Formats: sequence, structure tokens, C-alpha cells
Amino acid sequence: MSELKDCPPLKYYDFKPVDHVKVCPRYTAVLSRSEDDGIGIEELDTLQLELETLLSSASRRLRALEEQRQILTDWQDKKGDKRFLKLGKDPDLAASSRHSKPKKQKLDGKGSHGPGPGPGRPKSKNIQTKVQDFEFEVDPQDIPRNPKNDAPNRFWASVEPYCADITNEEIRVLEELLKPPDDEAEYYKIPALGKHYSQRWAQEDLLEEQREGARASDKKKSMMGPLSELDAKDVDALLKKSESQHEPPEDGCPFGPLTQRLLQALVEENIISPMEDSPIPDIPGKDDGAGTSPRSQGKAFSVPHTRSLEARIREELVSQGLLDSDERQGVGGESEDEVLAELQKRQAELKALTAHNRSRKQELLKLAREEMRKQELRQRVRVADNEVMEAFRRIMAARQKKRTPTKKEKDQAWKALKERESILKLLDG
Amino acid sequence: MALVSADTKIAELLNELHQLIKQTQEERSRSEHNLLNIQKTHERMQTENKTSPYYRTKLRGLYTTAKADAEAECGILRRALDKIAEIKSLLEERRIAARMAGVYSDTDPPRKTMRRGVLMTLLQQSAMTLPLWIGKPGESPPPLCGAIPASSDYVAKQGDKVAARVKAVDGDEQWILAEVVSYNHSTNKYEVDDIDEEGKERHTLSRRRIIPLPQWKANPETDPEALFSKDQLVLALYPQTTCFYRALIHTPPHRPQDDYSVLFEDTSYADGYSPPLNVAQRYVVACKENKKK
Repeated sequence: MSELKDCPPLKYYDFKPVDHVKVCPRYTAVLSRSEDDGIGIEELDTLQLELETLLSSASRRLRALEEQRQILTDWQDKKGDKRFLKLGKDPDLAASSRHSKPKKQKLDGKGSHGPGPGPGRPKSKNIQTKVQDFEFEVDPQDIPRNPKNDAPNRFWASVEPYCADITNEEIRVLEELLKPPDDEAEYYKIPALGKHYSQRWAQEDLLEEQREGARASDKKKSMMGPLSELDAKDVDALLKKSESQHEPPEDGCPFGPLTQRLLQALVEENIISPMEDSPIPDIPGKDDGAGTSPRSQGKAFSVPHTRSLEARIREELVSQGLLDSDERQGVGGESEDEVLAELQKRQAELKALTAHNRSRKQELLKLAREEMRKQELRQRVRVADNEVMEAFRRIMAARQKKRTPTKKEKDQAWKALKERESILKLLDG
Repeated sequence: MALVSADTKIAELLNELHQLIKQTQEERSRSEHNLLNIQKTHERMQTENKTSPYYRTKLRGLYTTAKADAEAECGILRRALDKIAEIKSLLEERRIAARMAGVYSDTDPPRKTMRRGVLMTLLQQSAMTLPLWIGKPGESPPPLCGAIPASSDYVAKQGDKVAARVKAVDGDEQWILAEVVSYNHSTNKYEVDDIDEEGKERHTLSRRRIIPLPQWKANPETDPEALFSKDQLVLALYPQTTCFYRALIHTPPHRPQDDYSVLFEDTSYADGYSPPLNVAQRYVVACKENKKK
């Protein structure tokens, strides 16, 4: 039963040969003739037609046989495979001239007979164009179209931006780039230092304390007139006064740092310590202008002397080569110097880079302009090429027509050639 | 002299043809036996409605033998047809030779003015006896078979029939049926004779004005792609004339001996086209020109 289902769509063709007696009378007649009689020339045409008919039917028979045989072979090989194409009936293989009404059904010889298509299956050349019941059990897979070779297209597309012509647009962009940026000047400014943070903080602290004091006294008394007037201005004045009397030695020592170091190196014991201890920083609060009195009184040296001493020691050290002459600048120490130094270093770098970039951009602009000029020339060369080709074609046509080219044509050709030469020379030059 | 030897040759060939035909029949009768067997097996299989392996193998064997037979038969038939073609070409050569000889001797102008009827019959015959292309399985029809155009470097040989565009006396251009006399390679021009009036002036035309007529008929049953299809624009020979006119295909032939049915462009009809007329395959060629009168 499975056999029945899997029955191959064999067509039981009517393999009857052409009945030549009926269809090919001349042929039959010739056959019956003896050798001597032979064939007449006038019979050739009819004979030809008849033989053609015979041949035609024989070839069709041949094709059908081949197909059927193939089906059988395939089926034998792949028994149980359900995927068979149902073939239509071939129109009558019997003498075609007799049966003018063919049983039409499309015969499809192509197809995938399961996994491996039968090799060398001749395609049935059957062609009745009316498609009748025609079942595909197999999905007619087209031969996968050759995968379009896309790679060259993609390659050229990617290379395109590098090889394209330079446009005016691009030149303009370059020029724009060259314009110095507006904010360049800003980068070179070294901002003013502004108030040192210690001072600022001191100021702020003082203010804060005053406010607190004011608030405290406010709580106690209602009036704190004179004290409350102690606003920032006065505080500043206070601070400044106290500062002016404090030279570098903030921790109280009137001697310059060099002096101190020198003495430290020379003296073993801590003779300076009482001197260090005695000056008590009395920044806040003292209304008295002579804020330095307690310190200076306990000293053997007078203040102006310490300064000159410091200076003299410095000079001596510098002349001995023990100390570099470059002064550390700025009140407040090293940190600011570093920042400034860094800032200046960066500024120098920026300047150098900008200069370099500018020079490069200018060069690029120059090259671009040059290239544009060349492009124009190349365009003209192309036009000249076309003219030369045109002249060539004209001369060839003239030659073909077996006449010599006219003077006009020759002149044209020469002109075109010379023009092209000149443009090329320009290009190279 | 040459004519006599040609005659003997022809006689020889005819003899050979006779032999071949006899052979064909032998072959066919032999294979008939096999075909009958196949027939019987088919019947049995159909009635029993069962395809046992036994039957299948038997059938396969029968098919193979039948195939071999059919191939042999085809072979012989082809040889016979080739022989006929050979004889015909010899005859043609003889005719041309006779004509040439006739031209040189002024005495008797050869068939100068044929009667119309005779000419038409000749044309008809020529169309009928155009060999039919029967390709082997897998072969595709060659150029100049039916609607298949000639290859671009094809040069028509002497004696080939072509459609030629000539300028008439009044300046009109017309496609006429002509026969090639010669081809000049250096100028790329053909010399053609109007088939109607042999011996009259011959035209010298460039290749563009010459369309070679098909040399084989296409078999609708095996090579439908070599036929023109419905509504295709063609140049067809108007019946009973020797001129080609533009036409549309109405129906292609069904059998090898059938003609095309075409509609000629004709302004004297209401819809611009004539009723369907039959034109043989030989006298239908592709139309390439755009509408020019």
C-alpha cells in the first residue's frame, strides 16, 4: 500500500510508432521500389517532409523514453521518498500528424527529486503553454542566484572620499579653520593672583567672630554700637596693621630665614628658642598701634638691623655661590609659584602647538588650491581627449568609405591633438 | 562539363538516399517489436494497478532498448535528411552555375520574366521544404532557425535568400525578397538580386539593409522558444507578393508544417490591421526599424 502511494508518476506513453503507410505515402512508395528505379529529383521535397515527420516523432519518443527511464531509476534509488513531481502527460507521442488534439498537461521535467537530483536528466521539451493540474509536491527551489559580488562596490565606496575631487566647499572650510579663534587671547592671560587665601580666611574668620560677638552682646545688651561698627573695613585695617608689623617671620622671629638657618648651623644649643617663644602673636584685638612692643623690647637686636643683617648674609652667601640669586617671589610661598610655573609652561606649549597647526593648515590650503587648479586642467584634458577621439572616428569613417579624409577633418584632428598637448604640458609644468 | 558531373553526382546521392531510406525502415520495424512489448507491459501494469519491482525493472530494461532503437532510428533519419540537403545544394549550385553561364551568353536570357503564378509556386515550395530543425536532446536551436537571429558576424552566402531594403525609383524604401550574389568584405556590402527579376539590375547594399531569412524551420513541439510569439512585431512577406511589410503575429504555428498567422499593418482597415493572413516561417523575420513610412 505504501507502494501504491509511492507509485512513481509513470506515464504510460503510447509509444506507437508513426504509421508510415498512412502518413508518409511517398516514403512507402520509395520503399517498395527496387534499386533500379531509384528516386526522382522531384520527389525530394515530399520525401524531405515525410522524413522530417518521422524524425520528429522519433526524437520525441526518444526524449520521453529517456525521461521515464530516469524516473524509474530515481525511484528505485530513492524508494519511499515522497517528494516526486507529478508529471503531466505528454501530448501524444503517436504520429503527431494524426492526432491533432493532444492531451495537454504540462510536463515538468525539472525538479528536485529528493536530495540528489538525477544526473543528466534531459529537460522535457514539452511546452503546451496551458498549464493544467499541476501539482508541485516539491517546493520549486530556484537555483540560488549567484550571490552578488558586492565587495568591489563596497571597496570603491569606502575609498571614494579619499579620491574624490576637491571642491570649493572644502577650501572654504580650511580657510575657516585658519582664522584664529576668538578666545585665544584668553588662554595667555595670567590672571591676577587675588587675595591670598590665608588672608581671606583670616578676614573671614575675624568677621565671623565679630558677628558672633555682636550677636552675643546683642543677646546681653541691646546696644553694641561701637563694636558693631567694627565692620569689614576696620577689620581689614586691623589686619593690615598687624601684618605690616609682621615681616616674613610670622612665627615671631624678626630675623630673616637665612639668618636663622645660619645661626642654627653655627649654634648647637637652642639659644634662639627664648626669642622664638617670646613674641606672642597678638593679631586680633589690639587697638594699640605698637603691637610689637613686647617682642622688640626683649631683644638685643633692633628690628631694622635684622633686616639689614638678613640682606647682608644673603649677599655674602650669593657671592660665595652657596645660594642662588633668584628670589622666590610672591608673598605666601611656593605653591603659587608652582601653579604659575605650570600655567606658563602650558601657555608656552599652547602657543607652540597653535603655531604648528597654523602652519600645517596653511600648507594644506596651499596644496588644495594647487590641486584645484590641476583638476581644472585635467577636466580640460578630458574634453580634449574626447575631441581627439571624435576626430579619430571621423577619419576612420572616411577611410572606411574609401575616401581620403578632407583637409577640414585633418585640420580638426591636428588642432585637437595640439590642444591636448598644450594642456598636458601645463599640467606637468 | 561541370553540369554533367554534377548530374552523376546527384544520381549517386539519390542512390545513397534510397539505401538510407530502406535502412530506416528496417530499423523501424525492428524497434516496433520492442515498442509493442512496452505497450503490453503498460497495459498489464495499468490493469493490475500495481507496480511491483519486477515490472519496474522489466520496464526499465524495455525502455533502455527502446531508447537505443530510437536513437539509431534518429541517426539514420538524420543521415537521410542530410543526404537530401546535399542533393538540394548540388541542384542549387547547378542552377546558379547555369544562370551565370546564361548571363554571359547573351543569346538566351534565362527565365527573365517568370510568370507570376510560377514565381509564387516556387516561393511556396521553398518555404515548405525549408528543413525542420530537430535538435538532439539538450541541443538548442542555432542562429537562423525560426526566430533566432543570425550572429552579428554572420555573412550570407551566395544563393541565400534575404530581405533587402532598397530604395525604389520614386525614393520609397521597401523591403524586398532578394537573393545574395556576393559579399564584398572590404566595403562590407552585399550584392543582391531581386528574386522577381533575375538578370535585372542588382543592388549593392550595406549590411544594415540586409536581413537573412531563416534557414531552418523551428519545431513548435520541441523548440517553441525559437518561434515568434503573439503580438510580436515582424516583417512578413505579403501573400502573392515579393515584398515584406510590418506585421503583428496573430498566432504562431502549432505543427511544424503550419504557417504563422499575422496581421499586416494596413491603414485601409478600420483598426489599422488586416485580417489574419498566413505566412510561412521562412518569410517572417524580426523587425528592428522604428516606424518609417
